[in-house]
Amino acid sequence: MCLAIPGLVCELINEKRVMVDITGVRREADTSLLEESLDVGDYVLVHTGFIISKLDPKQAKEDLKLWDEILSNQ
Amino acid sequence: MSEPTQKYRDKNVVNILIKKINTLAEKSSETIRIMHVCGTHEHDLVKAGLRSLLPKNIDLIAGPGCPVCVCSAQDIDEVLWIADNHNVTITTFGDMMRVPSSTESLYQAQGRGVAVKIVYGISDAIKMAEKNPDEEIVFFSVGFETTSCVTAAEVARTNLPNFSVYSSHKVVPPAMELLLQRDDLEFDGFLAPGHVSTIIGAKPYEFIPEKYNFPVSIAGFEPVDILLGIYAVLEQIVEGTARVDNMYKRYVKYEGNPAASRIVDDAFVVSDARWRGLGVWPETGHEISDKYAHIDAKKKYNIPNLPTEDLRGGCICDEILIGKSKPQKCELFNKSCRPDHPIGACMVSHEGTCNVAATYEEIIWEE
Repeated sequence: MCLAIPGLVCELINEKRVMVDITGVRREADTSLLEESLDVGDYVLVHTGFIISKLDPKQAKEDLKLWDEILSNQ
Repeated sequence: MSEPTQKYRDKNVVNILIKKINTLAEKSSETIRIMHVCGTHEHDLVKAGLRSLLPKNIDLIAGPGCPVCVCSAQDIDEVLWIADNHNVTITTFGDMMRVPSSTESLYQAQGRGVAVKIVYGISDAIKMAEKNPDEEIVFFSVGFETTSCVTAAEVARTNLPNFSVYSSHKVVPPAMELLLQRDDLEFDGFLAPGHVSTIIGAKPYEFIPEKYNFPVSIAGFEPVDILLGIYAVLEQIVEGTARVDNMYKRYVKYEGNPAASRIVDDAFVVSDARWRGLGVWPETGHEISDKYAHIDAKKKYNIPNLPTEDLRGGCICDEILIGKSKPQKCELFNKSCRPDHPIGACMVSHEGTCNVAATYEEIIWEE
């Protein structure tokens, strides 16, 4: 139920709607729940047609660094 | 092309994490119990076979994290009462269709002529109401914070005389507190749900380490995400510390999604909620606020007190839901109660604990 699917913003339709590519399937998503602005190329989480979160690319990189730390510290 | 999830499924990373989890777990001679409260966690971790990879002294317990499973029979009874007495069309998620009410499921009700339609989400139910102004549409809405915000956004911007919402929404952190306060449950740490946390953030869990000195980690859903969450909470348990570790930072910010939270606070008020087989849990529900009373099906239709029965025919969903019993302990499990013929609510949704155990033939649960 709380399933949210990662997708890639591939087109800005209007202020409240974008097109999201979810593993090759394109569907419209509502952006009303998001404060941040979106651009083509952003990764987002989609839940029942609404974008609930935008991937923080800086944080994703830091995550990888954290992994390296955990993994190298064997 | 989707998020580059492949790296969160990397077998080598999984193997190294399992080794590290093993090293940590060896420091304890006791069984370490970690409870998650998310149906998607249960489904994804079992599908990936993670339980069988974990050390023997780690027991990963499924808590009440499947909103369809925790939905009380009375809520479905009431929705069906509205349908039977007011000639409305019920719209809801596909997952709700086979969940038992006191007497029948929505699917069975459909068989005797009640208009029930499956929708992808509330937005499709609203479109249906717009296209059919002569038809009364009720959207039966279930879900935790992840889904509440979507319902809230639509409630706040919809004003159709023929559309209303029956809310069976629930909130996670107060339910976690009630689990902690139970004498009949024993566990050592919480794995907090990643997608609920995208909305509420990490902050609402902080009372758990502060007030109960109890470890929490927030985890995502890919195998590496889940194992990192387990690793983080296990480290706290073994070290005897307690804090909230956010292991899903790429999507979960400390403050969550403030815009979504504001929308939820506007459209909903926190209320007491009925949980299947578990009675009323104070302040764990979301009812539509007075500001949007015109769209609240509970106010629009004068629902009488209905006799209700959550558990039928020996079902122990009440114990399964809080992780007190494993599905295999239930006498009905995989006999009369199966994914193709569910008797209890936990066997219905593909995220229900019993459904997952039956579908993936999980046999590692030993007493």
